[in-house]
Amino acid sequence: MRKGRYLVYAIRRLAQFVLVVFIGVNLAYVITHATPIDPVEQSISAVTSFGNTAPAAIEEMRRSLRELYGLSGSPVEQYLVFWKRILRADFGPSLSAFPTPVSALVARALPWTAGLLTVSTIIAWGLGTLLGGLAGYDRTNRGLKLMGVVAMGLHPIPYYILALLLLIVFGFLWPVLPISGGSAMNLPQGLSVDFVLSVALHAILPALSLILIGVGSWFLGMRALVSNVVTEDYVVYAELAGVRPWRILSSYVMRNALVPQVTGLAISLGGIFNGAVITEKVFGYPGLGSLLVDAVYAGDYGLVLGVTTVSILGVSIAVLAIDLLYPLLDPRVKVR
Amino acid sequence: MSRTRALLLVACVLVPQLLVLAGSGHAQGIPQNIPRRELLILENPEGTVKNAGWFNIWAINAGSQSNGLQQAALDTLWYIDPESGLDGVWDNSLAADKPQYNADFTEMTAKLRKGIFWSDGVEFTADDVVATVTTQVKNPAMRFSAVLASNVASVTAPDPYTVVFKLKKPNSRFHANFTVRWGAVWILPKHVFEKVEDPARFDFNKPVSLSAYVLSSYDPDGKWYIWQLRDDWQRSSLGRYGKPGPKYLAYVDPGPPDKRVIAQLNHELDVVHDIAPEGMFALAKQSKATRAWFKGFPYGHPDPTLPAVIFNTQNELFRNADVRWALALLIDIKAVSMAAYRGAATISAIGVPPTGAHPATYHQPMEAWLKEFELDTGKRKIKPYDPTVGKQIADMLRPSMGEQIPSDPADIARAFGMGWWKADPQGAQELLEKAGFTKRGGAWTTPDGKPFTVRVMVEGDLRPVMTRAGTMIVQQWKQAGIDARIDVAQGTLPTRRAAGDFDTFIGWSVETFGGHQDLSYFLDSWHSQFVAEPGKVQPLRNWQRWSNPALDKIIEQTRTVGFDDPRSIELGKDYVKLAVKEMPTIPLMAYNVFTAMDQTYWTGFPTSENPYANPVPNWGNSRYMFVKLKPAG
Repeated sequence: MRKGRYLVYAIRRLAQFVLVVFIGVNLAYVITHATPIDPVEQSISAVTSFGNTAPAAIEEMRRSLRELYGLSGSPVEQYLVFWKRILRADFGPSLSAFPTPVSALVARALPWTAGLLTVSTIIAWGLGTLLGGLAGYDRTNRGLKLMGVVAMGLHPIPYYILALLLLIVFGFLWPVLPISGGSAMNLPQGLSVDFVLSVALHAILPALSLILIGVGSWFLGMRALVSNVVTEDYVVYAELAGVRPWRILSSYVMRNALVPQVTGLAISLGGIFNGAVITEKVFGYPGLGSLLVDAVYAGDYGLVLGVTTVSILGVSIAVLAIDLLYPLLDPRVKVR
Repeated sequence: MSRTRALLLVACVLVPQLLVLAGSGHAQGIPQNIPRRELLILENPEGTVKNAGWFNIWAINAGSQSNGLQQAALDTLWYIDPESGLDGVWDNSLAADKPQYNADFTEMTAKLRKGIFWSDGVEFTADDVVATVTTQVKNPAMRFSAVLASNVASVTAPDPYTVVFKLKKPNSRFHANFTVRWGAVWILPKHVFEKVEDPARFDFNKPVSLSAYVLSSYDPDGKWYIWQLRDDWQRSSLGRYGKPGPKYLAYVDPGPPDKRVIAQLNHELDVVHDIAPEGMFALAKQSKATRAWFKGFPYGHPDPTLPAVIFNTQNELFRNADVRWALALLIDIKAVSMAAYRGAATISAIGVPPTGAHPATYHQPMEAWLKEFELDTGKRKIKPYDPTVGKQIADMLRPSMGEQIPSDPADIARAFGMGWWKADPQGAQELLEKAGFTKRGGAWTTPDGKPFTVRVMVEGDLRPVMTRAGTMIVQQWKQAGIDARIDVAQGTLPTRRAAGDFDTFIGWSVETFGGHQDLSYFLDSWHSQFVAEPGKVQPLRNWQRWSNPALDKIIEQTRTVGFDDPRSIELGKDYVKLAVKEMPTIPLMAYNVFTAMDQTYWTGFPTSENPYANPVPNWGNSRYMFVKLKPAG
């Protein structure tokens, strides 16, 4: 591919990326501000629902909060303030945890989500792709056939059912694994061996639930792809030419079948910034998903926008990276 | 090759350690490095705290309240218990005596205890109380600023143990602001806050305690907080009652209800804050160590809160008391109790929760009046009260629950409530016809010929018990020919409730002290001076936006009598009679909280037989259980 043509392609693709992010963030802004939940009322409700606050005092509190939360300007003024902040990578203060900055809350939750989902996505992808490839290539192997049945069986189970089953089995019937939190209580966070081991141990059940559900779809996808590739002329020719099966599988079949799987992996990795709400809720695991749900219920525009913007950027960057790499990796993809 | 070897080496080191850790699974759900026999683990119902490192409770909604901060570390002048209390319902906590008012209730004096110290060794004095008021009045962005600014003209400390509040207008209940019912205006440490530039943006981390415990450690991700007993616990107000049993308290987020059940069955959660009735039944069945407020059915602690069908009385359809009464007569409370709480509910026909001191003060003495109360349907007079409904619920449950259901009438009344309104479709029909409604082809139409549509707003899975009650009521109204619909508001309920964007909703506008007969806790806010115009935001708590000159008169008279004045009881009864006649809300039942207490490691929890405190662990008052708990075995 010519360098100049690729550069033009890359620039166009970058411009597209900026446009997608701009539209995405604007949509998120409009949707969050169209919510019927008023953050001031939510705050007042949280503060006063148990207390004995005089009605006249509530009215005063309402006025103070509107001012404090920066909700007193016109919609246009608020929109302009929002973009000024975004360009400085500042999402402002969280309204439901005022005055803590949204960025601080997101930064605290992000490593948990990114760690859990990256590891479980890669393991599920690796296992599913490898076993799916083998199953598609060697259709007579009983073990791989059984794998296919298991994958087909696991795939349609609603995630929360599987998660709850794991919880009951390993948390109650055979209580060998922790069922809540990201690490043991009263263990200082840091790079100590105890803490790292505790994090690994606490991640086993949530990761296992994600892997068990995820591996099935990667397995089935790869098996289908490989089933098509093995009928290609060049594979038949290689077999007739006496090329060793392992080499045919690794160099001829898997590499060609991998391209769509890699795309899927990149999009999945981009999507980890959405968080895994059900996983976090069921296993009490810290992360972005719970933060987002809580923010929605609290009408915390700032926090919702912070999490969604990170998510929009994650998915968009993943797709951009794939688009930019494809022409370099796969000669069949032409730059027009 | 070397990389493979290195990986193998790491795996050899890590995998056995993980296996060893996994093998000790029981130890994973409890705090590390603390002897279990010294640790009480309680649920913090706030869940995961977003802003974990924030302890400034005087900022508005900035951090957690019930992570142990208000139960174990903070303190204020007085406490009032929703039950019997350790030494009576009223407790002079930081105050040495009850509040003293002048004749016209424009001045309140509080005498303070001597010998109370903050956890950093500084003595608590009147200056701290003064600073609590002045700091917040100066900073409108602080939580109690508005309530203090609207009441206090000046506050002074004539000596280190006396505080004098001069009020802007007469207020015979001003002390209620400094009286913990669930929470209150907590006293802040002057010596800490006076050095802070902006008190509303100060995180107060690490907090200085005034009560018996200090912060030991917390999870930056907001899942748990651990508090340790102060070495000088005698120098806190709780010290009067002896040494607290647990050396450590852990307030944790145990997750969804199923996990709370598992955690308690694994003895990793000593106090479950609340759980669905089914969860409570499962715990009672599977764990001999679990104890609830009641020894058997209905288990839950009836909080001094009264869930009801709340009408929007500014809606033209519900202005007429006959319509509100008709809808009440179309409710079969037994079915509602079964749907909401599986029968484990304490019903109330009147607008006062059937808990604490109230049954003896209101429900029992008013029984005779209720039996004789008549309703004019336009065609005849009916007596709608049925004193046997509580007994009927008990009888209905006995075949399936057996001996758990009491048979003594007093016990039945305590557990299930007394009477309620008879389901009377004929009476309801007559009342609706009297109000100009007509029934055509089995469906009711309004006086202007439109279908009689009633939306019942509920919170959905955010409050399942109330949602189930609302769904059952909708079903009953539908059967009577009303176009009733469930309206699931989820998290929008507080906004819609305040805006008046509802026909009816299942919630509460009645909350009381519980242990004390005074009703001003909620009733004062029902004065017509606080009723917003349609379309405007309604302040807490008169969500029904109901105004009535007779009610105003009762409230105004109550304001002129003292908190403990017996006349306030008579005024309370006047309110009850008026609310029965007008039915601005249809009272349903107490808000039963299924607090489950595991007695494996600790005994002495508050129960209906030993009601020295409210066991619900997010209440500030729950601190009294710490001094009564003893290690088990």
